[in-house]
Amino acid sequence: MSLTFLLRRGGLMVYTLAVVSLVVFGITQVLPADAAVMMLGENATPEALAAVRERLGLDQPVIVQYGRWLAGVLRGDFGFSLRTGQKVAPVMLEALGRSLLLAALSIGLMLLIAVPLGIVAAVRRGRLADLVVSLMSYVGVSLPEFVTATLAVLLLADWLQLLPATGYVPPTEDPVRGLKHLVLPVLTVSVILVAHVSRMVRSELVDVLHADYIRAARLKGLDARTVLFKHALRNALLPAITIVALDVGYLLGGIIVVEEIFALPGVGRQLIVAIQNRDLPAIQAGALIMAATYSAVNFLADIAYAALDKRIQYE
Amino acid sequence: MSELLGRLLRSPQGAIGCAIVALAGLTVAFGPLLAPYSPEGLYPLARYQAPSAEHWLGTDQYGRDILSRLMVGARATIAMAFTATAIGTLAGAVIGTTSAYLGGRADEAIMRTVDALLSVPSLLFALLIVNLLGKSAFNALIAVGIAFTPGMARITRSVALAVRKQDYVNAAIARGESSLYIVLREMMPNVIAPIVVEMTIRVSFAVMLFATLSFLGLGAQPPAPEWGLMVAEGRKFMHLSAGMIVWPSLAIAAVAIGFNLLGDGLRDALNPRT
Amino acid sequence: MTPVLEIRGYTLDYALPKGAFRALDDVSLAIARGEVLGLVGESGSGKTSLAWAVMRHLPMNAREAGGAIRLAGDDLRGRSEAEMESIRGRRVGMVFQDPSTSLNPTLTLGEQLAEVLVRHRGLTRRQAWEEGTSMLGHVGLKLPAEMMRRYPHEASGGEKQRVVIATAFACQPELILFDEPTTALDVITARQILDLFARLQQETAVASLYISHDLAVVGGVACRVAVIHRGRIVEEGEVRRVFAAPRDDYTRRLIAAVPRPDRRLASPAPADEAAPPVVEAQAITVEYGRPSLLADLLGRRRRFVAARDLDLAVRPGEILGVVGESGSGKSTLAKALTGLNRFAGEIRFAGRRLTGARDMDRLYRRDVQIVFQHPDSSLNPRQRVAEILSRPLKLYGAAAAREIPGRVAELLEQVRLPADFARRYPHQLSGGEKQRVAIARAFASHPKLVICDEVTSSLDVSVQAAVIELLLDLQRRYGTAYLFITHDLNLIRQIAHRIAVMHRGELVELSTVDEIAHGPKHAYTRALIDAVPAPVG
Repeated sequence: MSLTFLLRRGGLMVYTLAVVSLVVFGITQVLPADAAVMMLGENATPEALAAVRERLGLDQPVIVQYGRWLAGVLRGDFGFSLRTGQKVAPVMLEALGRSLLLAALSIGLMLLIAVPLGIVAAVRRGRLADLVVSLMSYVGVSLPEFVTATLAVLLLADWLQLLPATGYVPPTEDPVRGLKHLVLPVLTVSVILVAHVSRMVRSELVDVLHADYIRAARLKGLDARTVLFKHALRNALLPAITIVALDVGYLLGGIIVVEEIFALPGVGRQLIVAIQNRDLPAIQAGALIMAATYSAVNFLADIAYAALDKRIQYE
Repeated sequence: MSELLGRLLRSPQGAIGCAIVALAGLTVAFGPLLAPYSPEGLYPLARYQAPSAEHWLGTDQYGRDILSRLMVGARATIAMAFTATAIGTLAGAVIGTTSAYLGGRADEAIMRTVDALLSVPSLLFALLIVNLLGKSAFNALIAVGIAFTPGMARITRSVALAVRKQDYVNAAIARGESSLYIVLREMMPNVIAPIVVEMTIRVSFAVMLFATLSFLGLGAQPPAPEWGLMVAEGRKFMHLSAGMIVWPSLAIAAVAIGFNLLGDGLRDALNPRT
Repeated sequence: MTPVLEIRGYTLDYALPKGAFRALDDVSLAIARGEVLGLVGESGSGKTSLAWAVMRHLPMNAREAGGAIRLAGDDLRGRSEAEMESIRGRRVGMVFQDPSTSLNPTLTLGEQLAEVLVRHRGLTRRQAWEEGTSMLGHVGLKLPAEMMRRYPHEASGGEKQRVVIATAFACQPELILFDEPTTALDVITARQILDLFARLQQETAVASLYISHDLAVVGGVACRVAVIHRGRIVEEGEVRRVFAAPRDDYTRRLIAAVPRPDRRLASPAPADEAAPPVVEAQAITVEYGRPSLLADLLGRRRRFVAARDLDLAVRPGEILGVVGESGSGKSTLAKALTGLNRFAGEIRFAGRRLTGARDMDRLYRRDVQIVFQHPDSSLNPRQRVAEILSRPLKLYGAAAAREIPGRVAELLEQVRLPADFARRYPHQLSGGEKQRVAIARAFASHPKLVICDEVTSSLDVSVQAAVIELLLDLQRRYGTAYLFITHDLNLIRQIAHRIAVMHRGELVELSTVDEIAHGPKHAYTRALIDAVPAPVG
């Protein structure tokens, strides 16, 4: 991996964030005919409207508004929430911590389940195990998070009373209760991911198992196990790194829904609350943080892929 | 065409997918005509009923017939999802083809921007657009359409580039054909097939996204019989009647599975090598 | 003495949706210690299935219908999978066609060699690594210790194939199967691999089954040869006897189809050497790789010159051959002449100077046509043959609308295809038939020059011979000039009037075919000619 590749990939991430900031700012603050009216509603008093305009700098030219906002963002300052009057950044940062915990647990659980499932399906291609995994993944990718969550609550919380239906307890305060509250959200988010990633692992591995070098390894007298684990798996799982990173996009969307349903105070819930209250600074912060997380994960995944895959020589 | 259908029905995925999507299509077309009850008729005496001969899937908190609501709501969910996907596909196809055709730096600039837009999760994108346009089913449709555009642009471009490299396109260039002829007659027929496959699979995603928006209260508004909204409303009455959330959930999942299966079946059927 | 490999009455079917397909039919052959048996056949003849059958590594849908496969007397068909695992790589080695796909891209070459030694000879990893290093030295690799640490993409095709060969010989097996080991390599590299094979064969006295479609190569390496056709061995015998006096009909056709430079096929060169050229290339240079802002900033410009200062004139009615190894720039030249590549320099045509694709007007396009290597890719899969062939007729206004169906039928007849092929789609045709359609399309406009870019290299020998014959026939009828690009020196010496030799983007020699035969001017041409296996018999 060369310096040029790192620079190029880094530049790409900066460009991505610049575009995203423009889009987010544009959709929230510039495109609305009058953002102040949009926020406060038609019946707001002129004084209240003027106050909001001034607070958000809506009386300034668009480019100035954007410049100020961006300068603030780069300093880690997203302004004040219109709903609570507090600074947005610390609130969002705290929420991000909870969301990242949820995301990390979900990805961990997903890898634990999806990779073995994919491997079994690929190795037993066309047999019963493959069919079962394939059916499960069709069902899995077809269940929106809110459906999974609702059904899970119905079954595990309402009927069986095994787990709490909603709420959040910081695991640092009370690990047992904290984790109990995380079980349903993590399960819900993982379902789609497991379905999708196990399918990808299966199809990558099926391709690799058909490669000439796998046949060559078998014909050198290596046993099926060695061929699978030493020769095939590495080549099949490498592309899976980037696929998992792309799935973080789904994951973030899922997190928004799941946090809302389980009243888990993460970035997603903050975002929904902000949208329901038309709290522009908070919407902007939430959206930007999510997109930045996604690009950072993909940046890291690409770097990891380039470092691990000896074939690829990026310019 | 009939040959394609034959190949499609021969694979289990294709056959099941076709059946589910055909059923969904019929419901979209004739659901309101066939529904036994009015979806919004209130029957205070018949609330929270379990499935029975009169109400096959039971009733909800206002005594409305769930089956009728599902049949009428198919339009709100499936037809909307399909339209949104079509909008996203069309817009994406135009951008993707243009980018592939322009090539060079223009292509690079367009694709980097599309990549950047892809870093905003579809649901978040849709939420932001609904926030801009206001909560309504129509705005949710536009939002989902726009949210799908970057992804479809990327796919169209990669398909178009793969086709562009084929020697039959080179042969047409070497023959001195016009750009219009090359794009329309040589490239398009080969680009469309994979795009249709992708679009079919995305309809299932759109159904889910659409229902999610309504579930969050940002798409269809009560008392519309939209399936996601029905689940959201039913959640409050979970203890009284599980059917209110189970049936619309199953309907969403079944339609999503149907389009997924149909997409995979089409992919195999359209591949001339198999 | 028991032969090392003995196959008796072996029959193999593949279960397909349409029913059973017989891949091998009552095959019998034997190879003794120190002997090389060449197995020759075209694609689909069953030769590779036979290799898999010996290795006991058959696809899931394979059904063995009888026969025996014996390795030094014991029947391999009775062996369990676990027993076979200890036989493969130890008692039977295998060398594959394409070293770039038969080596695992994420493991070092050393690891892939050493693991066999660990598996079968019970060495420790350290011992295996040392042993492997000395083996790589033995197969002629210059820096064996370094080569052990390299990944496949860091080695050339020839180097990789040497590693594969070292792996096959690693455990001193009794039998080695060679499955087209030089097909994916360039001519000169292939020669070196063949020399290595001959040396190792001598040293170890291993029994070898050498599978190839190339009769000339087999003639050079094998003691005996077996010809396989549609799953049956149609003829077997001493190499010299089979080539000199083939008894089977198919063998005869196959041998007749092999290009041999001493048997000229083309009519004599057009007499008028002073006639103005059809097309003349002057100082054509093509560079690949686009400038990148970042690369400029870092002071690294990655421009690759694919063709440098090419001067070439094609005379009316002549066949001008262009030969070179892969990456020599010969296809780049074809693309420049048809406006598919940007180029510097100019093309002279009908008294005009063309400096780019923009200058190529309808007249030029009509007179200069191209046929590509892969007919699968050059015919649009969603168009019927009729549509494919009628397009140039409409484009150049060669026929009125109502005459077109008739003209399409004529074109098909011209390339010896039945008229009802007009209704077919390309995937309903065989490779040779598709290439004929592509040729018919090129001839629809009665061009003055047809550029043939490796048009026969994806075809089987006998199909190639028929296509060549067709091309020569068309050339005689219409006086069309060809720019015939190929890597096959024997073929081009058979049909070309003049030959241009390309090497690393440069034109190193341009001579008449006689001059090439009697003493090429350039050392590279000499090396090329020496490397090409001469047809036996």
